[in-house]
Amino acid sequence: MSAAQIAPRRSRGLFSTIGAYLPHPTRWRHVFGYMVAVYRREWIGSVFSGFIEPLVVLAGLGIGLGVLVGDRAAEITGGVSYVTYIAPALMASQAMQFGAGEAAWPILGRIMWVRIYHAMVATPLKPTDIIVGAILFMGGKVAFAAAFFAGVLLVAGIATSPLGALAMIGVSTLTGLAFAAPVTAFSVTQKTDQGFAIIFRLIITPLTFFSGTYFPIESLPGWAQLLSWCTPLAHGVALARGLALGTEIPNAATHVAVLAAWTIGGTVIASILFRRRMLK
Amino acid sequence: MNLSTSNATALIRARGLTKTFGERTAVDAINFDVRDGEFFGFLGPNGAGKTTTMRMIAGVSPRTAGTLEIFGNDPDTDGPRIRGQLGVVHQQETLDQELTVRENLLIFGRFFGIERKEIAERADQLLELFQLSDRAKDQVEPLSGGMKRRLSIARSLINAPRVLMLDEPTTGLDPQARHLLWDALQRLKRSGTTIVLTTHYMDEAEQLCDRLVVMDQAKIVAEGSPRQLIEEHASREVLELRFPEGTSRISKETLDGIGDRYERLAERVIIGCENGEAAHARALEHGLTPESWLVRRSGLEDVFLRLTGRSLDE
Repeated sequence: MSAAQIAPRRSRGLFSTIGAYLPHPTRWRHVFGYMVAVYRREWIGSVFSGFIEPLVVLAGLGIGLGVLVGDRAAEITGGVSYVTYIAPALMASQAMQFGAGEAAWPILGRIMWVRIYHAMVATPLKPTDIIVGAILFMGGKVAFAAAFFAGVLLVAGIATSPLGALAMIGVSTLTGLAFAAPVTAFSVTQKTDQGFAIIFRLIITPLTFFSGTYFPIESLPGWAQLLSWCTPLAHGVALARGLALGTEIPNAATHVAVLAAWTIGGTVIASILFRRRMLK
Repeated sequence: MNLSTSNATALIRARGLTKTFGERTAVDAINFDVRDGEFFGFLGPNGAGKTTTMRMIAGVSPRTAGTLEIFGNDPDTDGPRIRGQLGVVHQQETLDQELTVRENLLIFGRFFGIERKEIAERADQLLELFQLSDRAKDQVEPLSGGMKRRLSIARSLINAPRVLMLDEPTTGLDPQARHLLWDALQRLKRSGTTIVLTTHYMDEAEQLCDRLVVMDQAKIVAEGSPRQLIEEHASREVLELRFPEGTSRISKETLDGIGDRYERLAERVIIGCENGEAAHARALEHGLTPESWLVRRSGLEDVFLRLTGRSLDE
């Protein structure tokens, strides 16, 4: 073998670099389809367990705490019963829990334990296609579960307008995505699942209490309010509640924009980090 | 036939192919060609750079320097197109345990954008070919190691790849499962699929490969057909002498002249020679008292030993 002249690798142009991170227009569908096939058997079960739990909470808190709060409820809720007040917020907060959970173990597992992502990046799929397909699937799952929840609210008479209920499903889905995307970005950097305990105990669970779910955000100190508005859940709760009660939602467009920003930002960062992890 | 001057088209062509991870050079300026229809091997110990080379070919590890062409394309810019025509089997299992055997094939085919109907037909053929038809509807989890490996290979063929890449395909399999797999790979090769494999098993390389390169410490140290390599780098027979108490006290003078050459390992002395029996007689004359001895024909193991001064399993 002759001593070859070693050509230095040409660096990619800017377009090519961006292109590497852009999803293929249709290939993410195959990833979505894969996830559907995996979850087809347990689909109903996971959706029920995901949303029956908040229904129990709703019954317990709404009826129990409602009685305790009693007449004072009207002061904070603006006239509606406590159950009516917290139901849409619970729907949004459950979407958060569900979205974040789907982005944690299932993603890390496919990198570390099942290792199927290693096989998938060896197909024409780009890492970004995998991330986009996986996150959209999480959105689909949240939407499905939220629809079930919305149905219960309609039947129970808590939500009064079917159109409003439909919009609530949309808001919940967006809220779920706004957590699923950044949690995915976190998951793809992990080597064990220990980091998830921190995410869930220190961020996800406390957020339920500081995002206006059980009491208005306005009763928090100023700095805490500001912090809450930086996270997605407060926006999801504000939108869902307004839609359920049929009241006017101030700054609705801003709420949607914040949720969308978390979703898109999280997806972009997740794609970059996942690509780095898989293509070494 | 001299394979290295054959005119068959090179499907994979590497020149000065290099990969570094920080300070560590995993693959150091290697050159090789894989030709259409051949069974090509990378033989070497763990850590020699075989897997990294495979990853670069599959376009999942960007090279640091050098040129690499697969089907005339550059994996840096044409990754998806190249990967569409490759089948890759990883060293570690990458099957989805929650899907059935057949579903693993069906889903995987979709990643290549193949139509469902076509995938279904191909999946059934592949299950047949790899003797998995009766397990088609079973979950993956309870399958034996050999079956999982066959399923991995079947899955990697769902896109009818031009080149099948196998990274240590029989590591961890029992002898019977290995032979079953070897048979399946031979059938596949006869049907025209080009196969590239890495292995640290000499017998595997000898059995399967038309041509191979021997890798050690990130470099290619030899290239040729198994027979060529043995003829060039090893003597006809090998005498192995075993000294459980160690070989360090045996003097060079005692070992000289027993055979054509010798290699001293921790507990063995390997002597390359024309005639093993005669060499054994000479060894006794030289005053050696091995606990046991054996004579065998030279193999790739001896080629590796000769080229690197180490045995593969050290």
